Amino acid sequence: MPALFLLAFLAIPLTALGRQIISPGTAGYLLEPLPWRVAGLAAAQALVSTALALAIGLPMANVLTRYRFWGRRWALALATVPFVLPTVVVALAFRALLGGSLGSGFAIVVLAHAYLNLAVVVRIVGARWITIDPRMELTARSLGAGPWTAFRTVTLSALRPAIASAAAIVFVFSFTSLGVVLLIGDSSTRTLESLVLRQTSILLDFQAAAVSAAIQALVVGSVLVWAARQRALQRGGSARPMRLIRPRGRSRWAVGVVATAAALIVLAPVLALVWASLRSSSGWTLAWWSGLFGPNTIDAGSTRIGSPLSAMARSLIFALATGLVAAVVGGLAAVSVLTGRIGRAFAIATALPLGISAATLGLGTLLAYGRPPLDLRATGLLVPIAHALIAVPLVVAVATPTLRATDPRLVTVAANLGARPTRAWWTGYGPAMRTVMVAAGGLACAVSLGEFGAASFLARADGPTVPLVIARLLGRPGEASFGVAAALAVVLVIMTTTLVAAVDRGGRRT
Amino acid sequence: MKRIPARFAVILSASALALAACSSDSATEPETEATTDGPVTVQLLTHDSFALSEDVIAEFEDTSGIDIELVSGGDAGSMVAGAILAAGAPTADVMFGVDNTLITRALDEGVFEPYTSPEAESLRPDLADQTFDGLVTPIDFGDVCINIDDTWFEAEGIAPPTTLDDLADPTYSGLLVVQDPGTSSPGLAFLLSTVARYGDEWPDYWQRLKDNDVAVAGSWSDAYYGDFTFGGGGDRPIVVSYATSPPAEIVYAEGEPPETVSTSSMDDGCYRQIEYAGILAGSDNVAAAQQVVDWLLSVPVQEDIPLNMFVFPARADIPLPEVFIEFAGQVDDPEQLPADYVAENVEGLLTEWGSVMGR
Repeated sequence: MPALFLLAFLAIPLTALGRQIISPGTAGYLLEPLPWRVAGLAAAQALVSTALALAIGLPMANVLTRYRFWGRRWALALATVPFVLPTVVVALAFRALLGGSLGSGFAIVVLAHAYLNLAVVVRIVGARWITIDPRMELTARSLGAGPWTAFRTVTLSALRPAIASAAAIVFVFSFTSLGVVLLIGDSSTRTLESLVLRQTSILLDFQAAAVSAAIQALVVGSVLVWAARQRALQRGGSARPMRLIRPRGRSRWAVGVVATAAALIVLAPVLALVWASLRSSSGWTLAWWSGLFGPNTIDAGSTRIGSPLSAMARSLIFALATGLVAAVVGGLAAVSVLTGRIGRAFAIATALPLGISAATLGLGTLLAYGRPPLDLRATGLLVPIAHALIAVPLVVAVATPTLRATDPRLVTVAANLGARPTRAWWTGYGPAMRTVMVAAGGLACAVSLGEFGAASFLARADGPTVPLVIARLLGRPGEASFGVAAALAVVLVIMTTTLVAAVDRGGRRT
Repeated sequence: MKRIPARFAVILSASALALAACSSDSATEPETEATTDGPVTVQLLTHDSFALSEDVIAEFEDTSGIDIELVSGGDAGSMVAGAILAAGAPTADVMFGVDNTLITRALDEGVFEPYTSPEAESLRPDLADQTFDGLVTPIDFGDVCINIDDTWFEAEGIAPPTTLDDLADPTYSGLLVVQDPGTSSPGLAFLLSTVARYGDEWPDYWQRLKDNDVAVAGSWSDAYYGDFTFGGGGDRPIVVSYATSPPAEIVYAEGEPPETVSTSSMDDGCYRQIEYAGILAGSDNVAAAQQVVDWLLSVPVQEDIPLNMFVFPARADIPLPEVFIEFAGQVDDPEQLPADYVAENVEGLLTEWGSVMGR
């Protein structure tokens, strides 16, 4: 079934696009130096972004997923927030926070990428970390290992596949970044994605764009293969979530400091948004919030923006649909990884959408399903489908390390004790499945809530999602435009936090 | 796949069914199916800045029996790219919003089916011949202009700039922010206006701007809300924007519209963007599509355009709204380049701009 899904919504659109574009002369564009130079720049930028995201994200993952403290669940949901903020909002928030001190360019782009991708590190590594028995490290200590050695040999080695997964995804996201690069980047932070956009929508040079897109897909593919190899190293261990640790003594301090720092890092841009949503040139105001919810909503009676309320409802439905589809398709793909070589190759294929630009995917989907004989646009299905395509690789990345860590002998044991195959499989993998599917589903919902590029191609003009409405508001002058956009961005943050927290809670109860 | 147990598969197919059920729910909405005896549906492909009043659309649908389905193509460039890739088997019946920097490629690729609207009689004289042999119809135009924060200049006691040359004057050093022409539509329009003004000398002009510490933003939003002193908390009082940005400030102000606005549009060095509508070749609904093009150029829509899209109507006989008359830049002599010149040279211009600016 995941194979069919990929075939229908990835392979067919790309073929439709390829048929239009590729000609014998296309290969000649490979000799052009420009795309290769841009690829080099993007790789350097993405490496630094990834290192920074890991440096901030790993301590956060440790504290948020392993320790018991007041507000932990909300903190975990909050950590997902940066991931869903529309890039234009993040860019403006960062500029507001850091002022002119950093300006445009490498430093601020790398910071923004690390911020946006914190959730990837926290969720993927956290989902694995929670299953590592802290007593193993204690055992190592009691056998004479120093704290660092114990951490390195026990915890870090168990985490390595998950860290590789997360790093690969952060790298890919930074390497293919578009919004941040367009908004606050300069010549040192160009990406192939921004080159594709220029080649398709300004120069209308589709062959050159196809070559740039192919180079990008190649780099992304190599990184994903590398990550899959790292994951394959995973052996043994338990996949059951451990009890949360109640911090004591010195670790109490450490947990407090990390949790506070995490909250500050995540919240600062959000607070800047809240502030912007309450300010006007004449001081404090609630006008922007009443412009969102009041009877005279901004632009009432015009197709300009669309009702913010209906956009919220629409985004919510899209997000839930995406979460469901991505969890099912991604979960099956993750399970198929366990089944050997073909399965692994297939899992890598599910990750391909990560390397394909939103413009490419959007245009391809449009050609395949946006005109007779098959016009799916009016059904409203195209947006959740595109979002699920983008989210499936994340689901696979979250699920695989944990599933692989599950001891397959559990299934054999259950079978030997007389369980039928289904029952035996579920006994072995069920608990782990449930944990990771919930974590992954939450992440997929978050992806859908914040996604902009594909939605701008595939949403109906009179049915925009929340990020589209925010972008439309920010695309024109006027205090009200900016104020209402800021208020709506705050709403998006609240929606995400609530949705993700609810999914987490639901997951824990089952 | 072999190892997926049956019970799991049952859960999956159940959820797939649930999904399918959701989809068929939404598919049964009335507007999706155009049958021969019911009203005809015309799909109108637009970019994401398109807007009209809902009652103007409803009135047309009531009187003509044509349902309009708005189809979003992303930003203007992406929309045109999509139309070119689907040339001959289009994703809609009518496309609105292709402008004079992008149109040549669309014409070359045979995207449009010829149609001359009877309403074209009423076009402004300067737009009457802009139909590219009857393939498209001008619907509106807008001018990309330098915008100035007058309050800032008043407070500083400096006279604001009035010409393109002024912008390179040391008096205005560090005060201008423009957009990257490779990623922003107004940014490209401003580059084209300098090319139209200075001819082959345009790289020298940009060198002077660079020496004068011009800032380059990635997008209009970032320049206007990030760098411009008026829009947000920026520190540059001169920005590339639109002639209609000052009236938009009035319309989208807090509460009661203020009597005056503190920004103005500089009349020199504006670049004119004309937006066209055309019937997409291969449409099954040509007759209805023609009615939609007529409607776009009819008085009700043309009167509705200024305050919805903040551009000027293409018809000559439309009175402008009060805020436009008072606060919009009135550009009598905009800079323009021939559409085919732009199509041929834009890549080279962008490359040269990049090497001058070190980007």
